[in-house]
Amino acid sequence: MMKALNYLRADTIDSALQYLDEFKQDIRILAGGTDLVVRLKQDMVEENNILDISRIKELNDIFRENGAIHLLPLTTHTDILESETISKYAFILREACATIGSPQIRNRGTLGGNIVNASPAGDSISALFVQAARLKLKSINGERVVSIEEFFTGPGKTVLEPNELLVDIFMPELEENETGFFKKLGQRDALAIAVLNVAVKMRIREAGTNAFDRAVVAFGAVAPTVVRGRRVEKAIISSSLDSPEQIHYIARLAFREVSPISDIRASLKYRQDMSINLLYEGLLELSANDWKRKV
Amino acid sequence: MEDFKYIGKSVPRIDAADKASGEIKYMSDLNFPGMLFGKILRAKYPHALIKKIDTSQAKALPGVIAVVTHEDVPGLNGFGIVTPDQPVLCKDKVRYVGDAVAAVAAETGELAEKALALIDVEYEPLPVVDDLIEATQSDSPKVHDGGNIHLHTKVVRGDVEKAFKEADLIVEHTYCTERQEHAFLEMETGVARIEEDNILTIYAGSQYPHRDQMQLSRCLALNPHKIRVVSYPVGGAFGGKDELTIQPVLGLLALRTKRPVKMVMTREESIISYWKRHPMIMKYKTGVKNDGTLIVNKVTIYADTGAYASLGGPVVNLAIEHACGPYKLSNVDIEGYCIYTNNGVSGAFRGFGVPQTAFAVETQMDIIAEKLGIAPIELRRKNALRKGDIAPVGNKLTTSVGTVAVLEGISKTKLWKEREKYLVKNTKKPWIKRGFGFALTYQGTGLGVGLPDYGGAILKFCENGGFEVGVGMVDYGQGIGTSYAQIAAEMMKCPIDKIRVLLGDTTLTADSGPTSASRGLYLGGKATIIAAENMMTILKEKAAEMLETSVKDLDAENGYICMKNRPEKRVSYEEIAAQFMKELHHLPETEGHFLMPLADMKVENAFGLPHHIFAFSVHLALVEVNTLTGQTKVLKGAEVIDAGDIVNRQGLEAQTEGGFVMGMGYGLFENTVIEKGVFKTTNFSTYIIPSVEDVPFEIETVTVVNPEETGPYRSKGVAETVMCATAPAITNAIYNAVGVRIFKLPATSELVYTLLQKNEEKCNENTN
Repeated sequence: MMKALNYLRADTIDSALQYLDEFKQDIRILAGGTDLVVRLKQDMVEENNILDISRIKELNDIFRENGAIHLLPLTTHTDILESETISKYAFILREACATIGSPQIRNRGTLGGNIVNASPAGDSISALFVQAARLKLKSINGERVVSIEEFFTGPGKTVLEPNELLVDIFMPELEENETGFFKKLGQRDALAIAVLNVAVKMRIREAGTNAFDRAVVAFGAVAPTVVRGRRVEKAIISSSLDSPEQIHYIARLAFREVSPISDIRASLKYRQDMSINLLYEGLLELSANDWKRKV
Repeated sequence: MEDFKYIGKSVPRIDAADKASGEIKYMSDLNFPGMLFGKILRAKYPHALIKKIDTSQAKALPGVIAVVTHEDVPGLNGFGIVTPDQPVLCKDKVRYVGDAVAAVAAETGELAEKALALIDVEYEPLPVVDDLIEATQSDSPKVHDGGNIHLHTKVVRGDVEKAFKEADLIVEHTYCTERQEHAFLEMETGVARIEEDNILTIYAGSQYPHRDQMQLSRCLALNPHKIRVVSYPVGGAFGGKDELTIQPVLGLLALRTKRPVKMVMTREESIISYWKRHPMIMKYKTGVKNDGTLIVNKVTIYADTGAYASLGGPVVNLAIEHACGPYKLSNVDIEGYCIYTNNGVSGAFRGFGVPQTAFAVETQMDIIAEKLGIAPIELRRKNALRKGDIAPVGNKLTTSVGTVAVLEGISKTKLWKEREKYLVKNTKKPWIKRGFGFALTYQGTGLGVGLPDYGGAILKFCENGGFEVGVGMVDYGQGIGTSYAQIAAEMMKCPIDKIRVLLGDTTLTADSGPTSASRGLYLGGKATIIAAENMMTILKEKAAEMLETSVKDLDAENGYICMKNRPEKRVSYEEIAAQFMKELHHLPETEGHFLMPLADMKVENAFGLPHHIFAFSVHLALVEVNTLTGQTKVLKGAEVIDAGDIVNRQGLEAQTEGGFVMGMGYGLFENTVIEKGVFKTTNFSTYIIPSVEDVPFEIETVTVVNPEETGPYRSKGVAETVMCATAPAITNAIYNAVGVRIFKLPATSELVYTLLQKNEEKCNENTN
């Protein structure tokens, strides 16, 4: 049964910050509502005040500035899929958002919500990891910037203070010689929570070779938070991805990066193996495409 | 085929516009003044004794109008189509987590839910019976006092032992299937209220209003004529609304409060509380000669019926009848156990035991074909049952048999014709492998021997010269309403828009038996034809008077009765109606009643066996398996169907597509997971059904010419057969693609991947 709630609406960032400061621990933010409303119906929300920020215009935009691409938190997944800027400069994030839920969920669900929810299986998060996203958090006392990797502390847990609001998500634009992918394994092809996902970004050292001088790998749904695959990254940089055998050899390091659990969607063992195989498949596909991005 | 105006054509559903526009009122859309909201308190444990129920606090809550327990059930505190062993409200024991212990009617749903929390039930938990095989052991805790084996059926023919000695090859495997959820769009929902003349009216979607009425009369100790059940429209059923669901509690609350009471299940409560497809463990041992002749089959089936019987017994018996597939076998030993556990409740579900055995037998057939080096189609054709043959359980097949026809029809599908092209190797992604598979199945129409199996229809003549057809069946998506309209229009020689169809109502429609067992079109259609013949006689007699001629000189044509030789001499149906009104002040009404033809024998100690009329189908699938992840994608599907003559082409295609997708979900994804009696998959976030992205872009429907002379317009029912063999078609295709045999459904990515790993290990062992 849904309990009675106090509904508040902010139309500006300032008024939202005021409300947050006033109600501190007892307030929950409503952006797209795709997760919150489900939890309200399951009576899983402790807070008694709901702050609707969905109409704050200053929080809804995609733009480029000084080599960085900014996505304000109310950007929906559909906005991301429809943005040419994103497909050019943040295509890994785009690939991730394309796998989220269904068209209805993508129309309502926001990037900010996906981040703040802090699900280890949040599909955009692995992509934001490899795109080195940074988050601007604001309160009435000021603002600070944290990297996406510092933001999460556990399942559903972040460094966000009760009076803080996520106001900007920004990341360096992807360069011409950067490639990568996002891959997700679900129990079906749509409306599926990830059994596992993996995002990869690599910078080609020299056109026409299989060598890379930068690599970032992140896995979702295989640890309490999204995790980096640092051993894999180092292996990619320190070798040349010349053959499927070599790629497989590197992908097998993923086994050391993840600490999955068994649940209703998959067993620990399957997730462990899939962290290798999904990475392997993604790298194989990219290699078959001469390391060119999909878009 | 004769030239018909409506039969055999693609006729859009008569309810399509109302459904698309939202005009149609489902039970959840019904609201009445003064209406209360009902909620059910479910069991806290899967297996426990009830020591005490205290409702005083709940009763004291303002806005709560009634709180009822077993003490308030006025009649038999039990329901169940075959054995009424399920309490309306539990008295001293709960047997699964969906068991109803108490119920509340309150001014709002929120209050009702608050009141549920105030009901204090003291339990003494008992050991949970959750393992199907352990449940059959004598030292197992008992779900019911009579023991955990609800039914045991054994059918033996020929000399099984001798036949195994004579076999050149014996193939022995154990197959397992899981608990499929119906996943209808509309959950169990309804409103009960006391209407004019003190009639308790239950508006709740179900598949057989007249039997609901009988069961409710028993539980509520009420004259059945004081109960009206309206069970149409309903947003899907698939067998899951054959048995009673919320109706007894709903009726009880309305009687108690004398106010309308509404109850709407959530998805979670629906999944926990109501029927599922029986999980089965099936042991198969098949003996065959080197030339491919099947000579013997020994089959043992264990079925998990959960806490209560419902239709578990008949499901097991139907599984037994179809356990050998549509193949000639003269030596069989088939036995089945229907077993009580604390794993939810299982009951009727499209296919009724056949999807399980079709998976087993069609995998056996592919294994045998491979071992003997015979093409899978050839092996099936060689053993196919033909008209005049004796079926495995001993009955002679005297009606239309389409086994060979559907096998030959395979070559007419685009999927078969172009399979070489589709199966081309993926050189860019060599880890993705394609495979092709098919499976054959058949399905009895109707209830079988031992049960009265009849159809009934009422036909009313209307002032506008049209007709109202009233059949007590329910159109829960399959489209029988449209088929009845086609039949009535064809028979009465009038435009189809002059036909109004009434369904699922104990007052307005004739008892036509349950809408189940692929019998809706067959029985309801035949009854409609008879009612229409009677009506035509009456119209012609009246027209003969009006035209001053004799009946034998008259014909009916496009809404007119006219003279055979002088078609300009005619009277319209409106004029005939006006004449009736002038003379009698009312319009004629006819009825049609039809009894199902039965087989020439009955199988001893196997209630309901055998059936007499069967529909046949072959299911084909092209799949792509990712060997890195185990994921299977169904790229193309096709079915070759023997449905006799086709009544509605468009309806059949929709049935086929829906059946294929449901079978695909059964084969690849669906499983209601229950651990120690507790449900782990209570909504569609964890209970995975195919999404539109998973469904193949093309599912072909190919039909064969094989009229069934006893059927309405020579048709027979196909609602179930179109679903039953999709899963084995897919698993056979998986084998074809990557060489792993699936013995357990669903073939999830993880299962296929694990089997691939084992195969690889085996290969490594062999090379070392």
